[in-house]
Amino acid sequence: MASTTTPSNPTPPSLSLPPSQFARLQPHAYLLAHLSPPPASNQPSIRANGRAASQFRVTSANAGSLTHTNGSAVVRIGDTAAVCGVRAEILHTKDIASWSVLQASSEQNFDKSNEAGVSESQDEEDKGHIQDLNLLVPNLSLSTGCAPGFTPGAPPSALAQSLSHQILSLLHTTRLVKADDLRIWYQPPNLDSEEFRNAGEGMDVDTEESGGPEREVKAFWVLYIDVMIISLAGNPFDAAWASVLAALRDTKLPKAWWDADNETILCSDDVADVQRLSLRGLPVSSSFCSFEGDIAAGWRAVVIPDAEEQKQKKGAQQRWILADPDGYEEGLSQERVSVVVDRENGKTVIVKMEKHGGWTVDSDDLRHLVDVSAERWDEMKRILDQC
Amino acid sequence: MVGPIASLSQLNRADGSASYKCPATGYSILGAVNAPIELPARRDALKPEEATVEVFVKPGTTTAGVGERYAEGILRSALGKIVLGREKGFPRRGLVITLTIVGGENVERGDSYLTILPALLHAALLAMVSASVPLSMTFSATLLGVTKSGDIVRDPSPTAAKAAVSLHAFAFSSKNHLLLNESVGRFEFDTWELVRERALSICQGATTSTDGDVTMGEGTASASLNGFIRETVEDQIYSDYAYKLDSI
Repeated sequence: MASTTTPSNPTPPSLSLPPSQFARLQPHAYLLAHLSPPPASNQPSIRANGRAASQFRVTSANAGSLTHTNGSAVVRIGDTAAVCGVRAEILHTKDIASWSVLQASSEQNFDKSNEAGVSESQDEEDKGHIQDLNLLVPNLSLSTGCAPGFTPGAPPSALAQSLSHQILSLLHTTRLVKADDLRIWYQPPNLDSEEFRNAGEGMDVDTEESGGPEREVKAFWVLYIDVMIISLAGNPFDAAWASVLAALRDTKLPKAWWDADNETILCSDDVADVQRLSLRGLPVSSSFCSFEGDIAAGWRAVVIPDAEEQKQKKGAQQRWILADPDGYEEGLSQERVSVVVDRENGKTVIVKMEKHGGWTVDSDDLRHLVDVSAERWDEMKRILDQC
Repeated sequence: MVGPIASLSQLNRADGSASYKCPATGYSILGAVNAPIELPARRDALKPEEATVEVFVKPGTTTAGVGERYAEGILRSALGKIVLGREKGFPRRGLVITLTIVGGENVERGDSYLTILPALLHAALLAMVSASVPLSMTFSATLLGVTKSGDIVRDPSPTAAKAAVSLHAFAFSSKNHLLLNESVGRFEFDTWELVRERALSICQGATTSTDGDVTMGEGTASASLNGFIRETVEDQIYSDYAYKLDSI
């Protein structure tokens, strides 16, 4: 298909190109030729990388790869590889400038919450604490050499920054980490209890508990979540998010307590005492791009058909929605769709959905993509459970 | 409900500018567009055959951070698609859109940027129209929240947005294409479709919707956001050409 021979020339010199060169010279035509093969050839429509349109790349995950972190994971989706390390550090409440104010307001919330559902307000408070105190600090770096074009010594690219924001924002909106796991408590000894009095007075348990001093939060764990993309071949967000998820599932926090005598936080070095994070749900992200078949679309003085007309023309299939695009495909498409789904009691819940950069994907396609993402959820759950 | 307020060409030195204020959400944006301009060090632009769209978002009180980078990326891809960057004078040049958030609640670190996206999109569009940037179509955007009881609220205030179960930002082109969708929270697809239907009727007016229930509150087509964009531009043209009208 690549040769441009003229009939007058009987022996064409090496004007035919190997596929790899054709792919570089005419990337759009190359992918289009794969997706819409001539009907005579009886070939199925397949992407240039050999995948079907809604097929994801082979994914593997490995947790606990780094020894100096509290939790870590390496996730590889095709040739995109992300390493994530979670490191926990202690934030003393006395170092939080607005702590007394925050505490007062959260107590008020508690009073209100007794009327409305307790679990809901607990959620709200979790979100407030984690967000107000910045208890989750994700950062993503696209390291030098992960893809051509990432040169050493450059400041974080706009892509890396926006991916960091997406991870943080998704951590907040999904409330994945429970604030309760991150609190370090201090239970002051009950100096009035029977240990200190003579034991014969027979106080019952209830009065003893209510009479004791209330336990208080002395510190928080702050989770620094660092993601490094060591190889970037398209779709960095799915890989980064999966690695964050796997690393958080792997994260173990040492048992920590406030030592009143030393006035400091002490941590137990006993492995038996460590506590894992209990995460809310398992949101799995799936990204798609829309490849438009009409190469001249950008060149014409554009007269774009109405949405209704466009729908009717769909039989001709002007565009393909490709799941988990690799770098080559991302370069050829502008429209992106990203769906993050979770499963709750067997029902698929959408946690985040975004699409921008074009106008060819609408609700019918999105419905289909949500179904594809739900299937991907099963696959990712299996992979993450095994790692 | 109080509609948005906008005016065009407020800044003298920019090629085009617009201010946009949405009373319901409280956001107020000042946008400036310079196009086509020479971009420094853009010889190796990725696509030399068309204009490079650059978007800068400046928060009112702080320097721009990662959240702004994210919003800039979304705006760039959404606006870059409707700008006719291959028109005469545009290839190899740049289209620089600067959007300053001059009023409204601060978007805090890690907050989703979606509550302010519709205001940013409108300000950018009006500024581009003011700068006579060739566009393939116009659009209008809206923010909708779904409350705990399942009601769909239009343009929720920052406090209502925090309490909402899910938030959705939509942008529809003047030809009813879904240009942009950002949704966060917990929702099901059926809910999303209801919200989309509602957003379409807000943006386009009652004309396109077949479902009578959804469109009741929004009234006639002139109350639609697309109509609002058109009226704002018409008003500006009317005042710009006032001297001609006077001389007739």
